[in-house]
Amino acid sequence: MSGHKLSLVVNGERVEADVPSNRLLSEFLRDDLALTGTKRGCETGVCGACSVLVDGDVVKSCLSLAVQMNGREITTVEGLGRVGALHPLQQQFMEKGGLQCGYCTPGFLMAAVDLLKRNPNPDDAEIREGLSGNLCRCTGYQGIVDAIRSTAEAGHGA
Amino acid sequence: MTVSVVGQPMPQVSAQEKVQGRAVYAGDIKMAGMLHAKLLRSPHAHARILSIDTSAAEALPGVKVVVTGDDVPRRRWGVHHKQQNVLACGLVRFVGEEVAAVVATTEAVAQDALELIRIEYEELPAVLDIDAALSEGAVPVHPEGNVVDEINIARGDVEAGFAAADIVHEEVYTTHSQYPGYMEPMATVAATDGNGRLTVWTSTQSVFLARQRLAEALDRPISSIRVIQATVGGGFGAKIVEERSSVIAAFLATKVDRPVRLNLSRLDDIQSGCFSVPMRIRLKMGMTRDGTITAKDVTIEAECGAYAGLSPEVMLVTAMRSDNMQRLENVRSHARMIHTHTMPRGAFRGFGGTQMSFALNSHMSTMADMLGMDPFDLHRRNAIRTGDLSVHGWEIGSCGLPECLDQVSTALDWTARRARNTRCGVLRRGVGMAAVMHVSGNRTMGNWDGSTVVLKVNEDGRVVILTAESDMGQGANTMLTQICAQELGIPVSHVTVQAPDTDNSPYCLGSLASRVTINAGNAMLGAARQARSQILEAAAQKLGCEAADLTIADGVVHSGKNPNLFAPLPEICRYHIFRHGGEGILVRHTHDPKTVMMNKEHYGNIAPAYSFAAQALEVEVDTETGQVRVVETYLSDDCGKAINPLTVHGQSAGAAVQAVGWTLYEELQMEGGRVMNGNLADYTMPTAEAVPTMHSDIVETDEPNGPLGAKGASETAILPGAPAIANAVYDAIGVRITDLPITPEKILAALAAKEQPHA
Repeated sequence: MSGHKLSLVVNGERVEADVPSNRLLSEFLRDDLALTGTKRGCETGVCGACSVLVDGDVVKSCLSLAVQMNGREITTVEGLGRVGALHPLQQQFMEKGGLQCGYCTPGFLMAAVDLLKRNPNPDDAEIREGLSGNLCRCTGYQGIVDAIRSTAEAGHGA
Repeated sequence: MTVSVVGQPMPQVSAQEKVQGRAVYAGDIKMAGMLHAKLLRSPHAHARILSIDTSAAEALPGVKVVVTGDDVPRRRWGVHHKQQNVLACGLVRFVGEEVAAVVATTEAVAQDALELIRIEYEELPAVLDIDAALSEGAVPVHPEGNVVDEINIARGDVEAGFAAADIVHEEVYTTHSQYPGYMEPMATVAATDGNGRLTVWTSTQSVFLARQRLAEALDRPISSIRVIQATVGGGFGAKIVEERSSVIAAFLATKVDRPVRLNLSRLDDIQSGCFSVPMRIRLKMGMTRDGTITAKDVTIEAECGAYAGLSPEVMLVTAMRSDNMQRLENVRSHARMIHTHTMPRGAFRGFGGTQMSFALNSHMSTMADMLGMDPFDLHRRNAIRTGDLSVHGWEIGSCGLPECLDQVSTALDWTARRARNTRCGVLRRGVGMAAVMHVSGNRTMGNWDGSTVVLKVNEDGRVVILTAESDMGQGANTMLTQICAQELGIPVSHVTVQAPDTDNSPYCLGSLASRVTINAGNAMLGAARQARSQILEAAAQKLGCEAADLTIADGVVHSGKNPNLFAPLPEICRYHIFRHGGEGILVRHTHDPKTVMMNKEHYGNIAPAYSFAAQALEVEVDTETGQVRVVETYLSDDCGKAINPLTVHGQSAGAAVQAVGWTLYEELQMEGGRVMNGNLADYTMPTAEAVPTMHSDIVETDEPNGPLGAKGASETAILPGAPAIANAVYDAIGVRITDLPITPEKILAALAAKEQPHA
């Protein structure tokens, strides 16, 4: 497999890499950059566990090739916030029970960032619609919807 | 000031690392020299393996080893029925059974190598459903025949009960198989060390049961294996003892003597099971005019697929658990577990309870209509109560079922909504309800249902809890943390719960049968109180006062008599060590509930407590498309004292949505034993858009056997959803669906049949 030179920004840091042309973005992030917060749950773009932001828009990294990311800026869950400086969505997911097993959580957080960017004051129906690309089997979505609503209500939606 | 921690809603102790994506699941683990495995599965439901040629696969650069059934131990493993080898040996019994495994330098190479393995099969006739398996001259899945387990339970005089009844109703219900659908497909890393010991990091609900199974399957001493629980991305029962991939991964590590990681793909995970047990339930009940149940007669045919696993235990629950929810005298069950050449089925949240809940609650609603009674009143009339001894000898120490019924009927405004229904128009609404019970603990795995907690208090006054009960997202570690923090008077942030590890944790059975809150919670309570007493004794010595005068609050030991007499906890914990004959504080407490194993007649108080729940909901049925939508739902869970209400509500909402999925959206499609929808696009689990706000409430009975009054939550909540929806559909359109799932096709066909009864 021929290699491709890749130059991109991941979580604010410049990354130069040589990747085979069939390398999935999810594999590149998890296996080459050890950013294992991005999960694989279905490999078919349905579950959304692999969601990341590419130039600010949510993208399913299991459906994207690493070579497509040349010159782009990627944010994974590791780039969202850290202890002491958690993103408001991370804080609200914790407080509202927006997670249980945690496997889908990184993907939901990235989808939620994208959702609030597009619609800073969504109602519940709009939140649910905005999450339709992600699956969670633990929470019944209630804690997730509550977390996103309260984040928006606190004015962190924009 | 002592802050009450128990009973407060608080984020799970694992939440912070999880929202940062920093919790480590087995599939995230990377070790030096680690290799990757892939599995080759049978394309046939039943076939003899005539030959396997692995030479081309072995020749592929990067391939380290290819193993088949010829390479694995002859010893067979299983829960009770020892039926499986690490890989299929000579015969495959379902499509998807593992026949070979490749270990290579990368997953991609391993995947390519699978395609180079040549297997010659002789296809054999297969039995693909219970009717085929029970037919005259059916091919046996195993030499012992296709009925792997049979249960007969009888109490009272069922015939007399029916004779005394004013109405008798009989119906057959069928329930289908549900995929657990945890978001993390099974993943395992296994590695041998220089001493020949094997360490396995895996996604499991029980490290000790995992170790036992590995010892059996790999035919090596239990203590030569160490199992460490990685963060578990959901379990729902499937990761108790039945999954096979961790066994295969562990075996492969012993073959290559290097770390091996086996991450299942979603298709792999679906093909290998462990879906829930599908059942056909014939239920006959008799009642007097006032709604008193006089007799109940149940016949069950259940399908476990190719290997029995926990299915017989699941069926036992279906056969008798719901009898204990009501004041019954005359009950009879006959149940058979049947092998087919399909994927193995087994444990699933609710553990056989969902199947019977569907039948029983559908039946109760139908019979309420026959009597002209409200189904809530019919349930109230028959509901078991606190202090009762059930027909099967269960001692009901606390029962909040009547309160659950009251809560949900009030919340939905049941009477008014029910009256509003007009059964006309394209979109028709209807209301339905159901009531259920579940165990908290179950003395079933040998005569012990205990739990041990080891508590270490460090010299800075912070603590580490060692347990091998498993948190797979449901909140066990948070529950233990809250009890510990409250008893020791320290902040929850000063408590760490160590991940289960068979080398370092005390022996525990793990997370099953909703047993952890009541059993491990009690063990935690005991351990924390013992540590507290040691701390106070040491403090009394150091401060020169009576231990009885001292308390701990906010991390400070102080005297209730003399406000000038106090010492920070770290000072006391250091003093406990640094004195002649001192030591670090290390306490252990075991709690084994005062329960009994069922006797041969299936009688006896198996659990220290029993949980109850009720659900009421409204659906909207589109009579043109046949689609059913849940528009509003209320679920009340009697879980005793809610140690963490946030967690309990989360369990209720999650369980209720899982039930909606089972009832309306999820359907395993098989053709010739082959899964036709082995991906999450075609096996459709509910999305956020597909469900409404999941309202839940809690009935806090004070359970005398529970830690601070608590009992189990979470499993109970999955039980009422399906029949509540079926009852609501009936209320909306006058059509009773008795075979799950309730699909648009069935709705439209039933509506058509109703309008043209003679067509």
